[in-house]
Formats: sequence, structure tokens, C-alpha cells
Amino acid sequence: MRESLVSIAGLGSVSPYGPIAGLIPQRAISPVAITAWATEGLRRAFLVEPFQPAKIVPGVKTRRLDRLSAWALVASSLAIRDAGIDLSQVDRSRVAVFFSTGFGCVELTESFFRSAAANGWGGTDPITFPETLANSPASHVALFHGLRGPNITIGSKRFGGESALIQCASLLRHGQADLAIVLSGDTITQAVYEWYEASGLLSSACYNEEPWGDGCGFVPSEGVAAVVLERADSRGARTYGHLREGRWTAGGHSLEVVHTMLNGAIPDLILCAGNGGPCTPSPAAALAREVGGQDAVIIPPDAVAAGMTDTGALLHLIVGLSNGPKSGLALLLGTSGGTSHDHGFAALLLELP
Amino acid sequence: MSELHRTIVITGVGVVSPYGTGLARLQEGMLSGRCCLTATTDLYPGFVGTAAQVEGFTLETGGRSLYSRTDRLAEAAARDAVAGMDRTDAAFRESGIVMASTVGGLSEIDPTIAQGPAAWYRRNGLERAASYPVARVADSVGEDLGICGPRCTVSVACASGAMAIALAANMLLDGVAPMILAGGSDALCPFTLSGFNSLQALDAEACRPFDQSRRGLNLGEGAAVLVMETLDSAMARGAEVLAVLRGWAMTNDASHPTAPHKEGIGLAECIRLAMEMASVGVDEIGYVNAHGTGTPLNDIAETHAYELAFRERSSPIPVSSTKSYFGHCLGAAGALEAAITIMSIRCGALLPTLRLADPIASTGVDWLRGEVRRQALPMAMSVSAGFGGSNAALIFGRDGSRP
Repeated sequence: MRESLVSIAGLGSVSPYGPIAGLIPQRAISPVAITAWATEGLRRAFLVEPFQPAKIVPGVKTRRLDRLSAWALVASSLAIRDAGIDLSQVDRSRVAVFFSTGFGCVELTESFFRSAAANGWGGTDPITFPETLANSPASHVALFHGLRGPNITIGSKRFGGESALIQCASLLRHGQADLAIVLSGDTITQAVYEWYEASGLLSSACYNEEPWGDGCGFVPSEGVAAVVLERADSRGARTYGHLREGRWTAGGHSLEVVHTMLNGAIPDLILCAGNGGPCTPSPAAALAREVGGQDAVIIPPDAVAAGMTDTGALLHLIVGLSNGPKSGLALLLGTSGGTSHDHGFAALLLELP
Repeated sequence: MSELHRTIVITGVGVVSPYGTGLARLQEGMLSGRCCLTATTDLYPGFVGTAAQVEGFTLETGGRSLYSRTDRLAEAAARDAVAGMDRTDAAFRESGIVMASTVGGLSEIDPTIAQGPAAWYRRNGLERAASYPVARVADSVGEDLGICGPRCTVSVACASGAMAIALAANMLLDGVAPMILAGGSDALCPFTLSGFNSLQALDAEACRPFDQSRRGLNLGEGAAVLVMETLDSAMARGAEVLAVLRGWAMTNDASHPTAPHKEGIGLAECIRLAMEMASVGVDEIGYVNAHGTGTPLNDIAETHAYELAFRERSSPIPVSSTKSYFGHCLGAAGALEAAITIMSIRCGALLPTLRLADPIASTGVDWLRGEVRRQALPMAMSVSAGFGGSNAALIFGRDGSRP
């Protein structure tokens, strides 16, 4: 897919790094102890510290929303602010919202189940039910900002963020929108965390205060990252880069596909979007070395973004752009296990300004 | 890009509905006017209402146990859609999958999970919970058919199925896969029944879309999958073209978290954009398969949308809701209704809304009711809308209508 006309105009995120417009200042953070539910001993995760959304986005009302929707509102607002866009001056029927999520509004789904457990299926909460739908956060973003363009929510195992970026760029390229907000995120709940735990997927760092234990498994993370996409040169505004091409598949020969995308070029920067990392060696890092050789700067998976298993790509992108070269050709690479020659992968090629 | 590359065609339609598996059963049932909605009390303790189930549905899964009923319905529809295709072909293996669902694996989970997830996993197994993410629906289809191209599952409430088809069309234009299986699947489950019941959105009896006395919707279940590719791809492999996807569009009302815009402005704009993409005028659309849930708010807003979008027509636009036959299948609805629209075009039959005795007064809409209207139908539209204000419109044409 050729996406030469699509520009990354703004970034915003609500993550364990905090609510931030634009790039994320480099700093290491540690997992924190979970206190939202009773645990059998220490259990840690990368968690979003509670904050008041209205202090960051004046006028936003989140009291009746779950955290995912509230974070989506804040992250989208920060990204729009970072892009320097005044929505009152924009034709909002031409602004799309594209959201990817792994577990959707799982907090409210659990809440709805609790009301069913307490009162029976005949006594569930009518206020909660519509908000359990996975597209609620994207709908709230549209409602808050008055965005009447396509409003789409997807799930894609391991590659939700990449898939959303690629498909949203496609909307712009085909003239179905002029501007778009791509969001990706999830929340950690007891059911999600304990599912990871029962599946044996967690890092030893979830259970003790040591940094990274044996390096296998991951530390669950949460948050929402947002990227403003627009047709390049539509405002002559600053850009973080242009999306040139993107692919994601559930299997196949990733190296061949990436080489075809690069068309003989060597990327200056490769951002590894390891999901379920930081497991050593990361399949994405191995692929990055094959693609980039000795010259490319390879940024390993960010542990916080990697903990957002299906939806970390946008946070990987923001962290990677924050810490790598600011110009040249960049490749965002994600993989999903399998053999080195036939596995699911996602690749986005960016031209940095 | 040539016209052949730009033309998106449908070369397969797979359906699992309360009529059974296959488009032929759906066609036979609907053309005969048979309603699958039945009074039921066994969907959860205390439930009294009307719904449409896929009775006696089984699927040979080769020993796999982790797939939910939603996944199984999707797999069955996908198998039906690709019946007769060479599954060993490289292009088939590289196909993309864009499914839609709102329920996903919720049908496999019960309320006690909220009282202690870890204990629930020990009792019921991790695999049941693993089907919860909606992404699982596309993965299950891909794994069942050995397809490894790009995959995702759309979850935009009741507009999901139509949006999956629209996104698949965009992906084909981008050349990211040689072929895409696109559709939707949702199973009946206590979670959604209870939710709609709590909202007082269910009609205890069979629903009456667009009737003045409508009282709400009925839920159904099923799945539909379309095989989509570009016309040049279909011609190269000698595939029969069942229909052409002439236009598609998606919009959002941005007016209310659950209710549609009262004047149907967002939906009308969606219809206008789809016609603009298809380069067709309002008189060229011969039929609209409506969203038509039977709820008081949806149906009046939708009526306003048709009056607005088709106000330049020389005659009222023929409209019906086929949810009156087997209910609202949520994330599958848009895909099932796309399949029904294609069927209508191919057999020249405009299906009536069942039980439509006293339609909403409208000078702009020709409410289809009573008998099936037999006439040539070169082009028709399927319209979907959902909680969160999302709208989608798809325009299908007969093979050969373009180029």
C-alpha cells in the first residue's frame, strides 16, 4: 500500500508515562504494585496513575465514563493540540476516528457481569450496557470533538495499532476523510491480568521488585495512544513523518515483504514493536537486524508499550520517535512468533522529515 | 490503476442464518415469507420474549475446542462462501479477512467470572475466555481455512458487518491482499439479550419495523461472509461475479451516545457519499435494505434519512427491513443484509417488511409490504447504523453494470 500523502501531524498519549502531548521524554519507569483488587502476594504492572482529565482537557466530562473512554478523550485532545489543529476551523464531517483495542471496554463488561451475578440477567444495569461495546471510546471521541467522519473500531491480534494506522491512512488516501485520529489502547482489569497469569505469560518482574528477572514474559500495561493523520501538505504544518507504506499479515515471509517495501533502501531507524516482550531474543529485533544490517539504529521494544499486547504499536511509535534519529527512513516492525521465515508481522515505512 | 483494478466484485456469498446454512436456504425461506422469530423463554432464566436462533447448528472443528459459537458461525459461513474454491492456491492463502462482531466470545462467559476470574479460569478453562476478544473471530476463520493474509475484526455495534465490507473494499483497492473474506458473525447470548432488555429495547412479540405501533427489536443470530476481490482478479481466475460493490461510505452522527440523530442527518450524508462514490443518481437505486430495527427512535430517524437523501427522486424509494424475518443479528446484521441485497438483485425480488400494517407516514418512502415485488433490480443499497452514532451504506449492482 502506498501512503505517500499521509502525514503524522500530532501525537498524544495517556500511559504509565503520564498524559503527554507529543513525544515522550526519555525516562525509565518501573512496574507498580496492583492495589485495585486483592492479590495473592505482590503483583505488578505498568499502570496509568489516576489523574483528573478536566485539568488537562478543559470542559471534558468523564465522570460517567470508563477509563478507556476517558483516556481516549484525553489522548485524542492532546494529539489534536500537538498537531496545532483548531477543530472549529475544520470541516468535521471529514474527520475520521479509527480505534483499535484488544479487550474493549472490559471494565464495564466486568461491571455488567457483576450486576448479572448480583441481580440475575433480568436485573442488569441499562446505563452500563451500551458502554460495554468496544466502539464506545471512539464514539465518545466523535461526540466530544463533533467528528462526523467514519468512526471505526477494530481488533487485530498483536497488530491492532499497526492495522489501525494502515487502514486509517487508506481512508485518507481514498478521500474518505481529510483528517483522522488513530487511537489504540486497553485497560488492565483483574480478569485480564489473571488470564495472562494463568496462561503463564507474565515476566518474573510482575512478582518481585527486581527489574527484569529472566527476561521472558511481559509486564502488562495499559493506556491509550493517539496519532493525528492528515493528508500531507494540506496545511503545510510540522510533521513527525510521512507514512509511505504499510503491511500486516497473520503469516508469510516477512523478510521478503519488507525488502520489497524498502525497494533497495536501508532504513536509518527501526522501531521494534514487540508485543508480549521484552523476551530475548525478540523476533522483531531479529528481523530488524536482518533488514537493517550494521547501519540502522534499532530501538528495541519499549517494555511499557510491549505490555499492551495487541495495541502497543502507537505507543511504540511515539516512544521510538522520541528516542531515535529525527530524520531519514524509519521502519516500525512487529512480529507475532512463529518461525523466522513464516510468521505474523506488521511493517510500516515512514519518511522522517 | 485500471477500471478492472478499481472495480470490487463479490464472487462468493456464505450464510448461516436461522433458515440454515447457505444462501439458497435463506432465499427460499425469505421469498416464501417464512418468519423465523419464535417466542422463547429458555435463553436465560426469567427471559420471556421473541428471538431467532440457528437451530441444530454444529460444526466439525477437527478437535479444536477454543472457538465460541460466534467463531463457529463465522467459520461455517466462510466455508460456505469459499465452497468450490481451490484452497491450496497461493492467492487463497494470502487472502485477507475482515470480520465483524459485537458479541465475540461473550457467549462463552458467565457472570461468575466477575466474582473471581482466576477461579473461573480454573473451573472453565482458559480457552473459553480466550475467545473473548473480537479479534478472535477473524483469527478463527483464518486458522480454519489456512489463510494468513491481513486480519482484523470490526466492532462498531450494529454497523459492524457493513463496515467490515467497506474496509475490505478499501484494502482491495490498496492491493494488500488478492482476495478478502469479509462479513460478520454474532451468536445469541444472555449478555446482549439482558442488555437490550434492560434498555427496554426488545419487543416481546415479533418486531414490526417501520410500523406506527412498533415497540422494539428482536435479537437473532447468524453469520455471513462475502468473497471480495477486484474484477481483474475474478476474471483472471474465471470466477463467477455475483455482484459489484459500486459504492460504500461511513459516517458518524456525533450527536448522542446511543440514539440516532433525530433527523437522520448522519445517515442521509452516508447514503449521499455512497452514491457519490458509485457515481449514481438517486433514481438509479432500486431498493434499500434498511437498518430497520423496529425501535421507535431508529425507525423514525431512518425514515427522515431516506426522505432527505432521496428527496430528488422522481418516485418514492422502495424500502424494507428484513430484520422482520429473523431479527437483529448485531455485528452480523450488516453482512447478512448485504447478502440479502445481493440475493434481491440476482433474483429480481424486493422483499417486503413482515407485519407492516400501518407504516410511518412518508411521502418519500415506498414501504414494501405484503407480497414480494418482482422486478428487475440493477442496483440496490444496504444501510446499517449502530450505537455510538455510526452509519454505513453499501451499494451493490448486478454483474456487468460496470464497466
